Amino acid sequence: MKKQPIRPADASLQRHLSLSRRHFLRGVGACIALPMFESAFPGSLRAATAGAAAGAPGAVTASGMPLRMAVAYFPNGAHQANWWPTGEGSAFELGKTMQPLAALKNSLQVVGGLDHKEAMPGNDGAGDHARANATFLTGARARKTDSANIEVGTSIDQVIAQRVGHLTRLSSLELSCDFVRKSGRCDSGYSCAYLYNISWASPETPAAPEPNPRLVFERLFGQGAPSERRANFKERQMTEKSLLDFVRDDTRALERQLGYNDHQKLDEYLTGVREIEQRIQRAENFGDLPDPHADTPAGIPADYGAHMDIMYDLLAMAFQTDSTRIATLLLAGDGTNRAFPEIGIPEGHHYCSHHRMNPELMDKVAQIDLYYMQHFARFLTKLEQIKDVDGSSVLHNSMIIYGCGNADGNRHTHDNLPVILAGAGGGTLQAGRYVKEESQPMSNLFLSLADRMGMPDLARIGDSSGRLKNV
Amino acid sequence: MPISPLLSRLRRVLGLNLAALFVCAGAAQLRADSSQVAATFHRDIQPMLENYCYDCHGDGSRKGKVAFDELSDADLQAKPDLWMAVLKNVRAGLMPQGEGARPSAEEIARLADWIKYQALGLDAANADPGRVTVRRLNRIEYHNTIHDLMGFDFNSEAEFPPDDTGHGFDNIGDALSISPLLLEKYLESAEFIANSAIPKVSRVLATRTATGKDFLKDDGSHGPDLMPVGKPAHVSHTYTVADTEDYHVVAELQVRGSFDFDPNHCNLILTVDGEPRHQEEVIWSESKTLKIDEKVHLAAGDHVVAFEMQPLEPIKTPVQLPFQRGGGQRAGAAQKEKPADKPTDKDKPAAPAADVPPVADVVAAVVAAADAPAASKPGPAGAPADAAKAAPDPAAAPDAAVDPAVPASLKVAPVAVRTAARLDLRIVSVQINGPAAEKYWIPPENHSRFFPNGAAPAEPVARVAYAREVLRDFATKAFRRPVDDAKLDQLVGIAKRTYEQPGKTFEEGFAKAAMVVLASPRFLFRVEPVAAGTPVGASAPVDEYALASRLSYLLWSTMPDDELFRAAAAGRLRSTQAAQVARMLKDPKAQAFVKNFTGQWLEARDVEFLPINPVAVLGLTGRKANAPGVDFDGVMRRAMRTEVEMDFDYMMKEDRSVLELIDSNYTFLNEKLAAHYGITGVSGDSFRRVELPPDSPRGGVLTSGAVLVVTSNPTRTSPVKRGLFVLDNILGIPPPPPPPDIPALEEAKKGIDGHEPTLRELLSAHRSSPLCSSCHSRMDPLGLAFENFNAMGMWRDTDAKQPITAAGQLVTGEAFANVRELKHIITHERRLDYYRCLTEKLMTYALGRGLEYYDVATVDQIVARLDQEQGKFSVLLDGVIQSAAFQRQRNAPSAAVADTSGRTHGTNAALSASNDSR
Repeated sequence: MKKQPIRPADASLQRHLSLSRRHFLRGVGACIALPMFESAFPGSLRAATAGAAAGAPGAVTASGMPLRMAVAYFPNGAHQANWWPTGEGSAFELGKTMQPLAALKNSLQVVGGLDHKEAMPGNDGAGDHARANATFLTGARARKTDSANIEVGTSIDQVIAQRVGHLTRLSSLELSCDFVRKSGRCDSGYSCAYLYNISWASPETPAAPEPNPRLVFERLFGQGAPSERRANFKERQMTEKSLLDFVRDDTRALERQLGYNDHQKLDEYLTGVREIEQRIQRAENFGDLPDPHADTPAGIPADYGAHMDIMYDLLAMAFQTDSTRIATLLLAGDGTNRAFPEIGIPEGHHYCSHHRMNPELMDKVAQIDLYYMQHFARFLTKLEQIKDVDGSSVLHNSMIIYGCGNADGNRHTHDNLPVILAGAGGGTLQAGRYVKEESQPMSNLFLSLADRMGMPDLARIGDSSGRLKNV
Repeated sequence: MPISPLLSRLRRVLGLNLAALFVCAGAAQLRADSSQVAATFHRDIQPMLENYCYDCHGDGSRKGKVAFDELSDADLQAKPDLWMAVLKNVRAGLMPQGEGARPSAEEIARLADWIKYQALGLDAANADPGRVTVRRLNRIEYHNTIHDLMGFDFNSEAEFPPDDTGHGFDNIGDALSISPLLLEKYLESAEFIANSAIPKVSRVLATRTATGKDFLKDDGSHGPDLMPVGKPAHVSHTYTVADTEDYHVVAELQVRGSFDFDPNHCNLILTVDGEPRHQEEVIWSESKTLKIDEKVHLAAGDHVVAFEMQPLEPIKTPVQLPFQRGGGQRAGAAQKEKPADKPTDKDKPAAPAADVPPVADVVAAVVAAADAPAASKPGPAGAPADAAKAAPDPAAAPDAAVDPAVPASLKVAPVAVRTAARLDLRIVSVQINGPAAEKYWIPPENHSRFFPNGAAPAEPVARVAYAREVLRDFATKAFRRPVDDAKLDQLVGIAKRTYEQPGKTFEEGFAKAAMVVLASPRFLFRVEPVAAGTPVGASAPVDEYALASRLSYLLWSTMPDDELFRAAAAGRLRSTQAAQVARMLKDPKAQAFVKNFTGQWLEARDVEFLPINPVAVLGLTGRKANAPGVDFDGVMRRAMRTEVEMDFDYMMKEDRSVLELIDSNYTFLNEKLAAHYGITGVSGDSFRRVELPPDSPRGGVLTSGAVLVVTSNPTRTSPVKRGLFVLDNILGIPPPPPPPDIPALEEAKKGIDGHEPTLRELLSAHRSSPLCSSCHSRMDPLGLAFENFNAMGMWRDTDAKQPITAAGQLVTGEAFANVRELKHIITHERRLDYYRCLTEKLMTYALGRGLEYYDVATVDQIVARLDQEQGKFSVLLDGVIQSAAFQRQRNAPSAAVADTSGRTHGTNAALSASNDSR
């Protein structure tokens, strides 16, 4: 029996194992050192300019830089008192949970008053975690089903990616740090698909996120040793192309033999075929792959904090190299019962989040919130340090949502959701504020971001009732 | 039912297939006969409902928004969800509630029959097989299928994202989506696997490969995987060659060092038949590969290749050891003061003995890190104590041969040094290659799997014919059904275009076509074409190839083997199905069923990763917290999983009663797990069946470590989760989900009777709230019965310093004093609930879809047979395999889809209302 040999990336990884181990020991976390050099995006700028000439400038700042949008989802709601700032507008003080963001206070806004009514029970009863997750970027109500006819809505990141994704090598990037599936049912009659996906390519098909840093890296920058990546990538594209021709026809032939219900699955397959073809086509237009000057990371780190850091790093690298402008990162599916022994919390997160106002458990929730925030702050700091060629930071030219579809994990509320909007959107967002919006759909924020990504014509998403004016 | 006899007669007359069409048409008419439904309702059912149900669901009461007296005749057939809920609740004894009169068994049977055959319009003899959405291979099935098809272990768990699950299983067609990202991975994997598994040439140099674990010590035992460089070693392996010729011995070894410098080094000597062939010095390196290639002439026959490691004196570092040879101290040697100056019994030179502990353990000298004080005073030259400090390594006795002039008493073997540093040598592989002459070449590994007739002919027409032959075989296996000529033409074309290119081999052409096969939806999905001529909405048996796949993915989680293929091709699989199933269960591949089914039904998979904190579980503080003395490591977690799997496997292989999964006087343990359970008399790592004493609380999966752990929180037990687990996975009567706004329990937390409240007391306070009590009175007593087991599955007598009371009462009235009595109740009074639950779980797993209202008659039949046969497992498995749902498929038209999707939605909620407590 042949065993899967070590892939080239793993081999090169082993050469650097000791180095990365030391990094871990020092608590740096990620095993790729991200060099702080200017972002580079010659290929995409061409594309962006071409788009502008055609009268559809998408995902570009006024200074001609790429405008990026990312969403990071943290689970189980937030410790309310510690989350919300005091004051209002530009005169505000960060709460305890956001202390790690102190240095970046002027690069972000805390937005209050956003709701996800479609995540509330309605007639569907329990299942707030599944709904929190599924509704977060769709603004839509998840059909309560364990498997048949899974349906929620296309998520805002995918809506935008379907419009402006052609400007970059990858139309979007979906990442996750939640890679172990619990057995049994997920949440009160909801399919696990709702819990482990925040990006939905269509109302029926989740855009499954990638948890393995090595595979994310290889997707972005090619496989193998740094000097071989470009060649490997080209060769792979050639092979994929030849495979696609055959399987497309094969799928169509197959469709004729199968029943109606199977068509949806085959359509998923054909959608994939089309997307990969487009991606290959784009890759040819964009020329050589960018070189991130970094080693291929290992697989999934055992340490959760390190896993988060490396996924954030990859996201930063993707933005820096303009490999994509749209990304989502699911830090953990809502309802996760992950324990945090690394910060002295052996209990599960979900267990703690139902604290019933017990101060001890509430404090643990606060510590977990803080832990997540520290890693997010590290990410923003990184984006702040990378400069675009217009002299602004990548953070300035980005719009980053950090939030959760559960507001208070203890009571499963879905109004006044904990949401941070980081970055200045290339100068179109008024960062440095605590905005208390009047109660309104979170989806309104999505429309405001879609405007900036070049989709002012997007009339609605999910339960949106208009645009969020004051951002 | 007047129509049934007619149909069975029709079937006899017309033959199976044709009859099937009529039957389905008949079923549709049956459903439409609403006047009969109404008549039987008013005559048989309504009086019963008035009698038992109207207190809450009639006469103005609408508990749970259900009022039976508001049903119109037209409603009777339009509310499958309602009737399913009635059926479930009445049969499980959950309704009617309260002290009032309860329906008799005869009444319940009459109600059940009316619901099944009138309200739901089912036809027991000709059940609707339902629809199964085409199933994508999940990660496990993909791995296994590639393994069987390609002879290659592909790490699908690392390369593919996790599969979404539905109904608690990861093989549900509707939940297994295929995103662009996943398709991209499938394309990449197709290329990677084809390139890795398919040989590129037809003949290669013969190689005989041994890996590190094949090398044995002189006493015949396996050498360690990592051999410490500071320790002498001799390991060998015997090869056989057929011809007297020149060969190459090619060895690859890895030097693996800690990050810190390790001063040990050694001579590595490769010998062939005792004769040294290669020697080199191995010094510290974090990671280095040694490659050795030596030409040797060998006679036909056996030959021994051996490695000898001879440690050398440690390399001088800023701090060095006194080193004595022949009475003199080496110049410039500095001495480390502290540890070496403190004589301990370890400092005594150990007498050479056959059985010595590893060098590192007998050595006293310790070299400090590089920043240790360099100002150590030199030791007195030749002082006896110094000789002692040098701690001769008795195992290094062979060293005597190096310098026979030195008296034995003064001989000092090279010293192994114990530091935080490590340096090891690992044998990766050792090959004997050759002979080099082409006439000796052989087909490469895996060649015959794809090219059974050897190398392809050179002549172009014959070459194409051969390509066609091997590709037909391959594609048929990969698609798990015959490949049509048009598709085969395409594949041959792809192969030909490649192998005709200069420098490309026939095998490379085949590999190119194989990539296409592996990327095809026909490989990635389990395609089950609807039999030609099946009218829309009707059902027909799945063809024999589909049946072969249904059986093999059910029992093996992989593709059919040759025997199944042959039977399907000959059209005799259905008729020999029972023998095939028996054969399949005996095959080691059936472990996949045991693992994947128990892993998900009983959630035993999760014991391997769910967070558990032994210190918190045991309530340890202070010093004890640093050394809890309880292993809850990966080995323990896997042992727990093994126990459950072996329990199920034994029941399955011996065809015992499924009741034994709940209550038995035996279980499967090894020493480690037995000790964890407090069971004595089990020694060694291997698992075996252990008879339990009559009063043992163990035996059965409910009191297995795995289930007790997966139903706990990381720091404490969760009676709610445990109770829910029993309701959900054993009795099949999950309570409705909790209300969205959970009330605070602060009053209860303040303390009860002046002491810290036990979990039981807290939960009891919880149940006093009417909002909570209706469900928690079902869950909590069940869960509290297991309170004698902590969150790691260990026995305990107290919780929060209060004695544990496991006694309780089921909501259906049965009282128990402890967990043994609870198991007895489940396997006696509530056995039908358990049979039904297990049948539903197995059917879900086997069918790859959730159960629907139209499956209820099938489930009932299996349950009835199971009960007649005292729960024999084969009755259950046969029942599922022979069910219409497994054997047949519905030609689902768009109209029927619209019809069922609405029902499906609600029915699911009623059938499998689940929980919210992850």
